Amino acid sequence: MAREDIEALLPFYANGTLSDAERAEVEAALAEDPSLDLELSVLRAMRENLQSEEPGSPGEFGLARLMREVDREARAQPRAPARGIPVRFWQVAAALALVALVAQSLFLFDSRAPDYRLAGEADGQIVVAFDPEATEADIRALLNGLGLEIVGGPSALGLYELADPAGEVTEADLEALRGAPQVESADRND
Amino acid sequence: MEDPLSPLMTAIASGDRAALAGLYQRLEKPVYRFIQSKLNDPHESADILHDVFMDVWRSAGRFEGRSKVQTWVFGIAWRKVIDLRRKSGRMDLPGETPDIADEHVDTEAAVLAGQEAVHVRHCLGELGDEHRMAISLAFYEDMAYGQIAEVAGVPEGTIKTRIYHAKKLLLRCLSGRVTREARA
Repeated sequence: MAREDIEALLPFYANGTLSDAERAEVEAALAEDPSLDLELSVLRAMRENLQSEEPGSPGEFGLARLMREVDREARAQPRAPARGIPVRFWQVAAALALVALVAQSLFLFDSRAPDYRLAGEADGQIVVAFDPEATEADIRALLNGLGLEIVGGPSALGLYELADPAGEVTEADLEALRGAPQVESADRND
Repeated sequence: MEDPLSPLMTAIASGDRAALAGLYQRLEKPVYRFIQSKLNDPHESADILHDVFMDVWRSAGRFEGRSKVQTWVFGIAWRKVIDLRRKSGRMDLPGETPDIADEHVDTEAAVLAGQEAVHVRHCLGELGDEHRMAISLAFYEDMAYGQIAEVAGVPEGTIKTRIYHAKKLLLRCLSGRVTREARA
């Protein structure tokens, strides 16, 4: 082996990764050439020096950041199927699951009891637009007087939904709302 | 002998977050040190480290076990470092080799300098990207030249050549540091 080849292997002799044959060649060259032995001393000192450094890595903060992004990505986009299972299989499975879900929903919708009510589903609610000049105290006084509560809103248009916790909002209450100075408009939410 | 990190990769490929955390804890420090030795910017290095492990999470299913897991992860890190340095115009010219033929090197002085962290860090910083990469992986991570070749995506002979030149440059630099100190 040429001297240049031996020199190229010296760092790997220093880090202990050479094959047995390569190590034997380097050791033979070291025995014959003291200058190579000096070079090896430099390389060993460097290696020892570098390995004693403790990197100021992100550590647990970096791990927390990684996990946050993994979670965010999982919410935004379900993970791709594992290797070896054809994508087509997942597409078919997802389509079948969707069909089953729709069928189940239709069944539940048709078979639910007459008084069964989904969240957000309510009878006799009123949609109102309050006067922009009305204060919170004015509105509170009006609603308390009629026994009504705000159950939704404001929407993007500034509309609120009102309901009577005791039952359906009566025609009299609706007319009272329409006549109140704090209200611009009031209509049933049909 | 089976790669001890291989079961973690299998678990990550099936979406196991704990396995990803386990791999991170095993490789975070060496990968960060490798990146930081190229970029010398802790914030940039932390961002690249994060991107590396996100890539591991996303593409673990494509790991075929033909290399060690450590080599595969360092390969991702190296490509990200190179991309960043190219984009920011900080990349050294590929294949750049030093002109060192006539330089006298006092190896005994280099032995002394090699024991001082400040000199070693300075001289390592003087190397070009490819030389520094090869030396870093050989000395920080104790990688064999075949592994370094896999990380860099080049033939083994190229790594031996880079190591040969990098070693010459380091010896010259270290020797010069001590000689200048002695004169001062």
